[in-house]
Amino acid sequence: MTARSSPLKRIKEKRLIGSLGRQERMLAIALLLPSILIILLVVGFPMLYSLYLSFTNYTLVNTKDVDIVGLANYIELFNKPAFWQAFGRTVLFISLAVNLEFLIGLGIAQLMARAVKGQGLLRTIMMMPMMFAPILVGFQFKWFFNDQVGLMNNLLYSISGARQIIPWLVDKPLGFISILVAEIWMSTPFMVVILEAGILSLPIEPFEAAEVDGATSWQKFRYLTMPMLMPFVYTAMAIRSLDIGRAYDLVSIMTAGGPGNRTELIWTYVNRLAFSGHDYSLGSSMSYVTVIFSGLFTFYFFRNVIKSRWEGRE
Amino acid sequence: MSDNKKISRRDLLKATGAVGGAVLAGALASCSKEEEVAPTEAPEVKITETPAVVGKPFDGKTVRVHAISGANYDELYKLIPEWEEETGATVEFVFKGNGFETDKRLIQDFAAGTVDYDVCWDHSSFFSQYVKADGLEPLDAYFSQEDLADFIPRLLEATTRDGKLWVLPRHFDISCNHFRTDLVTKAPETWDEFKQLALDITDEGAGLYGTQFAGKEEALSGRFYEVHTAEGGNLFNDKWEPTFNGAAGVKAATMFADLYSAGAMPPGMTNFLWEDVAQNWVNGIIGMYTEWFGWYGYFQDPEASQVAGKFDIARQPKGDGGIHSGWAGHHGFSITKAAKEKEAAASLIKHLTSVKGNELEAELGILISRQSVWDKIIAEAEGSDDPLAKKRLELALMQAQEDFKTPPLIAEWIPTSNILYPILQQIILGDVDPQAGLDDAASLVYDMMKEAGYY
Repeated sequence: MTARSSPLKRIKEKRLIGSLGRQERMLAIALLLPSILIILLVVGFPMLYSLYLSFTNYTLVNTKDVDIVGLANYIELFNKPAFWQAFGRTVLFISLAVNLEFLIGLGIAQLMARAVKGQGLLRTIMMMPMMFAPILVGFQFKWFFNDQVGLMNNLLYSISGARQIIPWLVDKPLGFISILVAEIWMSTPFMVVILEAGILSLPIEPFEAAEVDGATSWQKFRYLTMPMLMPFVYTAMAIRSLDIGRAYDLVSIMTAGGPGNRTELIWTYVNRLAFSGHDYSLGSSMSYVTVIFSGLFTFYFFRNVIKSRWEGRE
Repeated sequence: MSDNKKISRRDLLKATGAVGGAVLAGALASCSKEEEVAPTEAPEVKITETPAVVGKPFDGKTVRVHAISGANYDELYKLIPEWEEETGATVEFVFKGNGFETDKRLIQDFAAGTVDYDVCWDHSSFFSQYVKADGLEPLDAYFSQEDLADFIPRLLEATTRDGKLWVLPRHFDISCNHFRTDLVTKAPETWDEFKQLALDITDEGAGLYGTQFAGKEEALSGRFYEVHTAEGGNLFNDKWEPTFNGAAGVKAATMFADLYSAGAMPPGMTNFLWEDVAQNWVNGIIGMYTEWFGWYGYFQDPEASQVAGKFDIARQPKGDGGIHSGWAGHHGFSITKAAKEKEAAASLIKHLTSVKGNELEAELGILISRQSVWDKIIAEAEGSDDPLAKKRLELALMQAQEDFKTPPLIAEWIPTSNILYPILQQIILGDVDPQAGLDDAASLVYDMMKEAGYY
């Protein structure tokens, strides 16, 4: 990192840190202290307390005889097939949703970047799904996919003339796909916004040079647009992955993880076990395992963001 | 900070001196007082006449209430102003929410020790959790046998644990069989008959399903519980080991699975909760099903219901155990252990569950807890235009007296339900065999109960 820093930047960094006297340093710390304290209070303490709970047998109806049980909750968790199924389903859900949102978002962003007129209006319309609370989107799609009075079955009835009772939210894999559709509808606009901003910020010179060299549209997209867009792609994907990784409200409203665990994602499972079942210790251990995996995932993405940024410059 | 708001060191010293002086003076005064009341001889005791009660019994006291709210629940609270007038106390609601929100808040408050209210809403399915969390005060010291004599005994038994009464019942609900009179001429007596009849009246072409059940969460576990009980099973044995994977459990679960696979229940059944099944019924797509009495007014409303005036009701079927199903629950009130005004709290509960309170709720069609009020409303129903009015009340009362069954009175009922219902859904959907699924559920419940310290 240091080797890649420009000399000017290094001088600025040195001046900034080195030139501070003891008094100024104390002042800087004092100014930062309220923020640090607040973060410790609202983030650090709950996380540490939750970590502590994960090593105990604490439940909401047993707050008095709390014992340290070591790694028992983690061992129990790793032995639960339902946990691993929910975990695997969550990874699959993230992978499908993020990639589909990316592909659809990239297509729409490309089209919107080329729109000559009405870009502002298009962008506003495009953003609308993001303005709805996920819980409302959940209710809306639950109704769309209702087997008796839902939009989908009625639509199929109108088209085919035959009475269709497809249990969208029950059958395998329709339940999972229905939630995926709702998620993609709600969140693709985010991808569009980020990717369109990326496309519009790309320098025009390389494209002009490619034009002169006789590059095709695909070649320009493949060898110019995509490499230069990668920092935006990784950033958008990292944000969306984390966002989908904590998906709860949409799933909870549409299927509550059911029926029979068919659409169970990690947070609906945590909720059923920890909050509805009052088992905060096991719920905390599950949350910690999930957070650690999410952390690794984020680390991987941001490493790629930085890598692609440097590759883009070279 | 402006200069005029600055406190100088001298001011601070003055203030500290003043406070210190006051504390010292107070301490000396209390010492001298102690000396005064520490006689060497026993003081002369003057017997004075008890002053006449001029004030009201709870003058100036405030009773804080953590209550359920919404729809019919709030009507009862209209009786509070007259209790305030009679007693001189004031009622303050610290929380109002639906049943599940209220339960969640109570559990959290009991766990965190942040209970600052005297009376709380309670339910027969939930109170065991609060007892385990040491959050409730037994009611026995506040209500005499005479006070309790008018309440339906089964309701009191439902919230009596370890020999103590914890909740005073306000109203209850239980399910009966609802069936379309154009499709069913005689209500089924047994669950076997119920199953056969549901299969027989299913008409796929007409979009008519023989029956349905709420298919998730405690709603499904509860329905399984009552069919299982009717078939002669118990969820737990006397050592609190799960036993629902026995023959009765398998038979009950198989009935659900068979009805579903035969198309005698709507395909979306495993996503239904109470409002969904009620909606299907009023839409006229269900031939027969078990439902709570509480929905009756909605079902007989011709504006909302296609089956208004076209259905009848009957006692729930019995199973191989010769027992009629009767999963039931009652709402009521409890006094918290942390209550500051326990006597006033008991008085308020007594008022809300009084004959007057029950009469008010009975007018709303709610099933109330006092026998005397039942006798009165059944007599009044003789003259009703509704042909089912009297039958409904008599049936509900009979079920309350004979069939009323709560889930096990343990704090682990909801965790048990959370383990059980997804597996029941898997059985219904054919993802797993009934015996294998129930064995799996029993094993998980065993582990959970073991962790909770039962064995």
